[in-house]
Amino acid sequence: MDVEFRIRRFDGEKSYWQTFNIPVKRGMTVLEGLYYIKENLDGSLTFRASCRMAICGSCAVKINGKPRLACETQILEIGNSLEVEPLDNFKVIKDLVTDFEGFFKKHEAVKPYLIRKDDNYEEPVELIQSPKELHAYYDFTLCVKCGACYSVCPAAATRDDYLGPAAITAAYRFNADSRDEGEKIRLALVCGDNGVWRCHFAAECSEVCPKQIDPAKAVQKIRFKSAIETIKSIFR
Amino acid sequence: MVMWQKWFSVKGKSLFSIAFSLHRLTGVVLTIYLCMHLAYLTSIRMGKEVFESFIATTVTPQFLIFDILLVLAGIYHGVNGLRLILHEFGLTYESRKSILYVSVAIVLIVWLIASYRMYTFVMGV
Amino acid sequence: MANEINKEEMHTKRVLEPLAWIFQLISGLILTVLVTFHFYETHFVSHEAMEYELVVSRLSSLGYKIMYALLVFFVAFHAFNGVRAILLDTNFGAKYPQVVNSLCFLAFLIAFGYGSLLLLVF
Repeated sequence: MDVEFRIRRFDGEKSYWQTFNIPVKRGMTVLEGLYYIKENLDGSLTFRASCRMAICGSCAVKINGKPRLACETQILEIGNSLEVEPLDNFKVIKDLVTDFEGFFKKHEAVKPYLIRKDDNYEEPVELIQSPKELHAYYDFTLCVKCGACYSVCPAAATRDDYLGPAAITAAYRFNADSRDEGEKIRLALVCGDNGVWRCHFAAECSEVCPKQIDPAKAVQKIRFKSAIETIKSIFR
Repeated sequence: MVMWQKWFSVKGKSLFSIAFSLHRLTGVVLTIYLCMHLAYLTSIRMGKEVFESFIATTVTPQFLIFDILLVLAGIYHGVNGLRLILHEFGLTYESRKSILYVSVAIVLIVWLIASYRMYTFVMGV
Repeated sequence: MANEINKEEMHTKRVLEPLAWIFQLISGLILTVLVTFHFYETHFVSHEAMEYELVVSRLSSLGYKIMYALLVFFVAFHAFNGVRAILLDTNFGAKYPQVVNSLCFLAFLIAFGYGSLLLLVF
């Protein structure tokens, strides 16, 4: 059967919608649809994709208003008419490709790596962690940096320097890791004006996360922690 | 221009996001009402006649619809706010969907009771 | 070392945000009680609650004065801290946080002051 793809394109100057009709078989994903268009109908259609198996996070696009990974969204599950647009809150470079530079910089800014006083690459030490300690942060390690959470966040929509759910979740992931000793450092990094205080629990990030990570939960937990730590610092 | 439109569009958004937008909208409406209410109360200092003329103008069937909408805004903001307090302290995150539905139900029930009370008073029923 | 935080960075300015956030939640909680009581008083107790004499007698009694003072204080704080949060969520607020903080604080003082005037006059 034929399915209509309405794609919002951008050529560097103007944004416009273009419609394509493509033959679809059961099991075909939106990404396969985009590849079909590029290979058979319009070679200039531009989009990001890599692994085709929902682990690289490259292909996040808005499908009928909701951000999803194109490689794991079945066309026929959506319907016989799809609207595909680039993610919100990012600058569009071309067609469905958006600028992720700022997103990655914000992620780097929260020091998303283990910080330990006994860092010694010459004589590495094995760090023991129980399954219970792993479960405390495991879900938050699954982030694929697709940007879907950032694209639906109302705070990110109106303030460009907001760190965003992904970065703050990464900060929490390391703070909650029993092997990490840099909690105070990261709390100081996320409790600025552009950090946790901009979240007001719209919780849309948790609704669209393709890995069901619950970034909203991580932000609430780290916010509470940073509030307690900052207040405690008055008494020190 | 684009920002305003984004704030009010509901396409692709879940109930949580819509609840947040309504919370913001009712908050702004209530802040404006607060300023109007404080100004209105000036009439008390101006004596009995002034105050009672203010009351006679505003506690009328014509104003009832505004009062009912205002009360809806207030109750929604309060009840949704209680829901947000729970979640922002890191509690009950997992049951957020049921809590949202229960909150909306509470808002509707309390609003209907308050509106009925105002209606019977103003209409003299 | 690059990883050590500067103790000076955690000075008092940083405390404003967590305190404002916590107080916003607490004032919200208190307001659900006070506003409900205020609405109940003026709409559910009796039809005569809005008569001038009764209004003045409430404003003159100490117990009500305290209740109204608390109501105006918490409401003014909650409202203008909320507006502050909305403004800080924008790029304007990102660039000029001090302007936003000062304007909202001023608005709070005006609202609280003007509202309390009524309690001092009677």
